Amino acid sequence: MSGKRTILEIEDLRVGFRTQDGLVQAVRGASLEVAAGGALGIVGESGSGKSVAMLTVLGLTRGPTAEIAGEIRFEGRDLVGARESELRAVRGGRIAMIFQDPQSSMHPFYRVGRQLVEALKAHQTMTRTAARERAVELLALVGIPEPRRRVDAYPHEYSGGMRQRAMIAMALANDPELLIADEPTTALDVTVQAQILDLLARLREELGMALVLLTHDLGVVAQVTDDIAVMYAGEVVERGSREAILNAPEHPYTWGLLRSIPRLDRPRREELVPIAGSPPSLLAPPSGCAFHPRCPYVREAHRRVHPQLDPAPGPVVHDVRCLLPAATRRRLWRELAAPAEGGAR
Amino acid sequence: MTDNLVEVGDLVKHFPITRGVVFQRRIGAVRAVDGVSFDVRRGETLGIVGESGCGKSTTARLMLALLEPTSGTIAFEGEDLRARKGERLKALRRDMQMIFQDPYSSLNPRKTVGSIIGEPFAVHGLHKGEGARRRAVAELMERVGLSPEHYNRHPHEFSGGQRQRIGVARALALEPKLIVADEPVSALDVSIQAQILNLLRQLQRELGLTLVLIAHDLAVVRHMCDRVAVMHLGKIVELADADELYRHPRHPYTRALLAAVPGAAAYSSSPSTSSSSSSSSS
Repeated sequence: MSGKRTILEIEDLRVGFRTQDGLVQAVRGASLEVAAGGALGIVGESGSGKSVAMLTVLGLTRGPTAEIAGEIRFEGRDLVGARESELRAVRGGRIAMIFQDPQSSMHPFYRVGRQLVEALKAHQTMTRTAARERAVELLALVGIPEPRRRVDAYPHEYSGGMRQRAMIAMALANDPELLIADEPTTALDVTVQAQILDLLARLREELGMALVLLTHDLGVVAQVTDDIAVMYAGEVVERGSREAILNAPEHPYTWGLLRSIPRLDRPRREELVPIAGSPPSLLAPPSGCAFHPRCPYVREAHRRVHPQLDPAPGPVVHDVRCLLPAATRRRLWRELAAPAEGGAR
Repeated sequence: MTDNLVEVGDLVKHFPITRGVVFQRRIGAVRAVDGVSFDVRRGETLGIVGESGCGKSTTARLMLALLEPTSGTIAFEGEDLRARKGERLKALRRDMQMIFQDPYSSLNPRKTVGSIIGEPFAVHGLHKGEGARRRAVAELMERVGLSPEHYNRHPHEFSGGQRQRIGVARALALEPKLIVADEPVSALDVSIQAQILNLLRQLQRELGLTLVLIAHDLAVVRHMCDRVAVMHLGKIVELADADELYRHPRHPYTRALLAAVPGAAAYSSSPSTSSSSSSSSS
């Protein structure tokens, strides 16, 4: 969204899974863009569709029960209709992904080095010794101490943070242009989390790759991304620059998220304002605005009319899927944010 | 002196590391808790923070007499836990309850919510008779924000947040004096966490509960607690009033923990936070 070349463009993506109970509409018309070398944070709770959308980019949701529609273009090439062989070249090559739990993403029987070599040889023709050399290099790149010795260790001999580093090393094996990180630090301790986030920021800088970070933690996106998209019930409800989303959010759900988490930069006993109710079932998503059952500003029409992701008026790129008039939204947020800001002194 | 509900003195818990199958030799010990002393004051919320493996959950289990300490003392209302046996210990267990992290695995999937919440009554022989028990359970369900009509439902019919409310109701059933909550919100969705945190605070106000909150999330602990203990490698490295600890952390480890919280710097350094405040203040 920053004027740079777009490498990943997702338009009106729809992903559903047929189940015994009916069609689970996991992604319901999501549109996203990632600039080359940029960093997009996708914020959403479990079931918001963020992981399914990104797994679909890599063709990992395909299957007999899946219904996929819409467009995913990576460097101009369509991935939704791509053949499995084409996808295999992209997956782990030009787009790599890391997951939440580094424990279960590695094979416990094989040495870390061997798993790295496997990732390398899947996409490049190289000798075993060259691949092994590169594996050591990669471990050094992600900050594993004594990589030459560690390359022969088993995953269980690594700590949680080191395993996530090794996963990142594996993802970087084939110099991807885009790294998708799905809750990469959720399973880690705070101090380790900080190290991994620093590492991702450094690698992005050094290697010039784009990053998509999926998380439920607004603090994490605030730290490492340029743009933020907020997903709810399979839709993008708001997207824009990090500053726009964190400081001038326009969607009631984003307000809810920001006001329901305790923050270290706020007065200590400030009242938390929870979002009422719970996330909707994707078997039967709410009519009209998907957020209307939980929205404190709901009006009669919102139960029927489905809002589009429209640009918010103003100089910065900022799209919002909300039926409230822009002026009303801005007034509401000013009112919500004001007492807290005053109390901070 | 008397305003301390719990007094913990030089508490130690070592778990043996053994080798061999039939003849187990002790080859060492994990010093999970390694000389910890603190008091829990009546009516306060004490936070225990630290990273995984620092001994915070072991400390909680020792406090509730779910584990036997290697050495050290724990006094509840001035009486040593280890001196209590049999009926006296059972009576003590009424006064202290625990809320667990995972609302999915801490509720029996085969039982109805009513019988889960009412189980403590059966164990302690309270509210005998179907009618009395039902009334007591319905009251508890209302108290924690559950609809009493859901008495006969099973845990899988509830969302994560509602399940955690069931866990809270069960903990409240015996009108305990102390509740230890071990990571009560970390398994919940962000939008639900505030519901449970607010519920705990409201219950504490209404019932005068003493709360020990164990968490790794420093912002959650700051929000909830009067005093905070920071644990590292089985020891308390710093214990202070929450305001003091977050404003002037003394121990280098506390500083490192606070510095590691993601987004803290990004929020405070972002220009528009101050610009939006200037529009309201000046």
